[in-house]
Amino acid sequence: MKKTGKGIGIMFYGTGYGNGYPDISRAKAKIDTDGRFTISSGACEVGQGAKTSLAQIPAEILGILTKEVIFDHEDTKTTLDAGTCAASRQTYNTGNAMKMASESLKRILESKAREILNLSEEEPLVFDNHEVIVEGDPSKRISFKQIANTADVGDLEVVEIFQAVTTKMNEETGEGNPYWPYTFGACGVEVVVDTETGTLDISKAILVQDVGRAVNPKLIEGQMDGGFAMAQGYALLEDLNIVKGEIKHHNFTKYLIPTALDAVEVKKIIVEDPESSAPFGAKGIGEPVMIPVAPAILNAIYDAVGVRITEIPVTPEKLLKAIKEVG
Amino acid sequence: MAFKVIGENVLRVDGHTKVTGGAKYPADLALENMLYGKTLRSTKAHANFTIDTKKAENIHGVVGVLTAKDIPGKNCHGVLFKDHEAICESRVRRIGDPMAVVIAESERIAEKALESIEVAYEELAAVFDPEEAMKEEAPKIHGEDNTVFHFKIRRGNVDKAFEEAAVIVEDTYYTGAVDHAFLQPEAGIAYEEEDGTLTVIAATQYPHFDRMDIAGAMGMEEEEIRIINPAVGGAFGGREDLTLQIHLAVAAKKFKRPIKMVYDRKESFLAHCKRHPITMHCKTAADKDGKLLALKTRIVGDTGAYASWAVNVLRKAGVHITGPYEIPNVWVDSYAVYTNNPFAGAMRGFGATQPPIAHEQQMDRIAEKLGMDPFSIRRKNLFTLGSKTATEQVLRESVPLGRCLDALEAAMNEKPLPDENINYLEDLKERQAKKEGAWNEKNR
Amino acid sequence: MKTINLKINGRKRQIEIEENERLLDIIREGFHLTGTKEGCGEGECGACSVLLNGKLVNACMIMAFQAEDSEVITIEGLGENEKLDPIQQAFIDTGAVQCGFCTPGMVLSAKALLMKNPTPTKQEIRRGISGNLCRCTGYEKIVEAVELAAKRIAETD
Repeated sequence: MKKTGKGIGIMFYGTGYGNGYPDISRAKAKIDTDGRFTISSGACEVGQGAKTSLAQIPAEILGILTKEVIFDHEDTKTTLDAGTCAASRQTYNTGNAMKMASESLKRILESKAREILNLSEEEPLVFDNHEVIVEGDPSKRISFKQIANTADVGDLEVVEIFQAVTTKMNEETGEGNPYWPYTFGACGVEVVVDTETGTLDISKAILVQDVGRAVNPKLIEGQMDGGFAMAQGYALLEDLNIVKGEIKHHNFTKYLIPTALDAVEVKKIIVEDPESSAPFGAKGIGEPVMIPVAPAILNAIYDAVGVRITEIPVTPEKLLKAIKEVG
Repeated sequence: MAFKVIGENVLRVDGHTKVTGGAKYPADLALENMLYGKTLRSTKAHANFTIDTKKAENIHGVVGVLTAKDIPGKNCHGVLFKDHEAICESRVRRIGDPMAVVIAESERIAEKALESIEVAYEELAAVFDPEEAMKEEAPKIHGEDNTVFHFKIRRGNVDKAFEEAAVIVEDTYYTGAVDHAFLQPEAGIAYEEEDGTLTVIAATQYPHFDRMDIAGAMGMEEEEIRIINPAVGGAFGGREDLTLQIHLAVAAKKFKRPIKMVYDRKESFLAHCKRHPITMHCKTAADKDGKLLALKTRIVGDTGAYASWAVNVLRKAGVHITGPYEIPNVWVDSYAVYTNNPFAGAMRGFGATQPPIAHEQQMDRIAEKLGMDPFSIRRKNLFTLGSKTATEQVLRESVPLGRCLDALEAAMNEKPLPDENINYLEDLKERQAKKEGAWNEKNR
Repeated sequence: MKTINLKINGRKRQIEIEENERLLDIIREGFHLTGTKEGCGEGECGACSVLLNGKLVNACMIMAFQAEDSEVITIEGLGENEKLDPIQQAFIDTGAVQCGFCTPGMVLSAKALLMKNPTPTKQEIRRGISGNLCRCTGYEKIVEAVELAAKRIAETD
């Protein structure tokens, strides 16, 4: 018999290393003699889209296209330490460092432009397409390259450091501010359980993610889809089968991760609520997207067949056995 | 505020190189005159051993076999404690511990030569259950105590709250070890540059940390080491602890030729960390209206043979076990414990992924006992602006959990999203709706 | 050692192979076409998918000698000059690429599907690419990409 059930799960996630540990990102912004903009920071692109979304930050500040940002992040010889690409911290920490460095560089460019163009402090300036332009009087303008040609070596180069603010918790009571910021989310699923076989289909899936501010909604949606699938594997499929310290399932024939046939279409809802200490309000979401999914599936199983599963993964054998036990 | 670039669906800047096969992952690189390395790994979970590499060294095409004595600096690494040996000297603590690395003219010769290394094991008592490992008489994995870390929260008076509660739900939840299963198995190349810089190219989540650990093992200054992080084929926390980086560095320096190593899938499973398996015993109490009164919990995480991030993971689990709820009385004991299992470390969610398996089922069970629905019980307790967490942290801004739940409920019931409550920043929907074509001709 | 002839990405080539070499080895090491990836070596993940005589295969499961006188297309053989294949373009446009390691195999898998079935349903797409594992995307945007590519191909024909 097929039985349908619904379940939800909600979550919070504290970003960063936490507990007062120095959580630091560094970024160097510079204009070279050709007027090109480079930002250097050791943040890793691991597939999540850091190379794109982080580059959007200086692009916004300096009025250039994202693809024109030279984001140097692969080589320790040229980049500064930006901490681990982990704990959903790169958007927040390195994003902040890159924003600070870009803003500092922007101020330097503004001041150079005023000097060269003989402008007063009051005249409003805009940045567009590698140029500094007097707002309302576009005949007064100067390119980054022209500024670079009049500047001394090192003038148009600035390093900024961002450190997240957390405190060490009291060792006896736990009192303290261990993480910041927190990110929130919710997931709901509908499952159809086959009580004869113990197999389970997810017939509806909704994932709601607080992001602070969405820097790149499409990249966030990609994280949400991927996080859902990974959590689905965690809840239902993935078992290393470790026996006396030995991993018995050490290949993809035995260690099953979701395929395109297992994965489901997820309705994705992004909720924005900018965080003032974050770059443009953006919080990290790489990990949070995974967290509320597995419990939603477990609650839906209970709703469908009345069994509480306290151990994951819920393989068909395990579920069938549990269904039989309740009768 | 109107932004030009923030909030735009800018196309991935690395998209073109990835769809054309041009992106270079570490296994795609090759250098002139390159040698290949293969790792001999322990088949015992806990043992002392002696090793004889002579036969392997005499094989035609083998240029040498690295053992612990070849590590020029400190033979240790680790993200938190330096409890991993880069190559085990005389004792292995898990199946898969590295014991030797064959360096040869080809991958096949190196692989074949592994069979000629002679290892004599003297097996030691092993422990695989963290509860057993916490006992005094348990075999010790490192030092005197297998308990790596004990985190506590003591808030209010849980015992009194349990006495006054209308409903109490108590159970034990278990989450197993899982693997990141990123599609790109570990691989890398190392070589010496003309100025003496030792360069290691390997996919990593933290190049500057790798540089520090490699410098320590090489007995070199950090400035003398260069890490290049090429395209990374997924990570999810599995590329934080070092795997082959030190082996590559040692071999490149010793043999003065570029070294390449590529793991196959099985070795990838053996080499990197796992998600911590965690047992969570939770006793949760609420009043007759569904308001949470107390949580008492004992959490035990199995970090296997090495600590990796165990302290931070079990701390995060301890802080997040309350769920996103205000609970006035909280008692948490969270432990990280060494065993002889595969070592556990970072994986997506980092100790915050396991607790909801427990707290979200506890919530539904309380709701059921009180005849409430899952949404109402959560609304009654969830964090809002100004809430205090169990560690007395005040959530001063950006706490849109209620809005998330409202949106979820609407979507579950196939109703339109309650826009005025959800309060999207005015143009988010528009931004999301910008699909192909309309979105971003200018950023193509 | 044995010499075989084959056509790879439209070019006739000759290569010396060893008896135990796989098609994947000669693609990556012999022809230096490293867009074809090795993810498992057991035919489970599809990262090494290539087209062999128009049919999708896992290059790790084919011995090199079996490719004698065949025609092989790898990811480097898609598209014309600077112009991407519509499938490649659609992968970029829909956000179907994350870490990118599965992408070459996934694109070729989609290519094989659309050659057989130019108007697949979502479910047919899912079935078509089910031999290719992806750990990052949850497949949703890949399915969208294949739909979009099918639509664009139909519009230009």
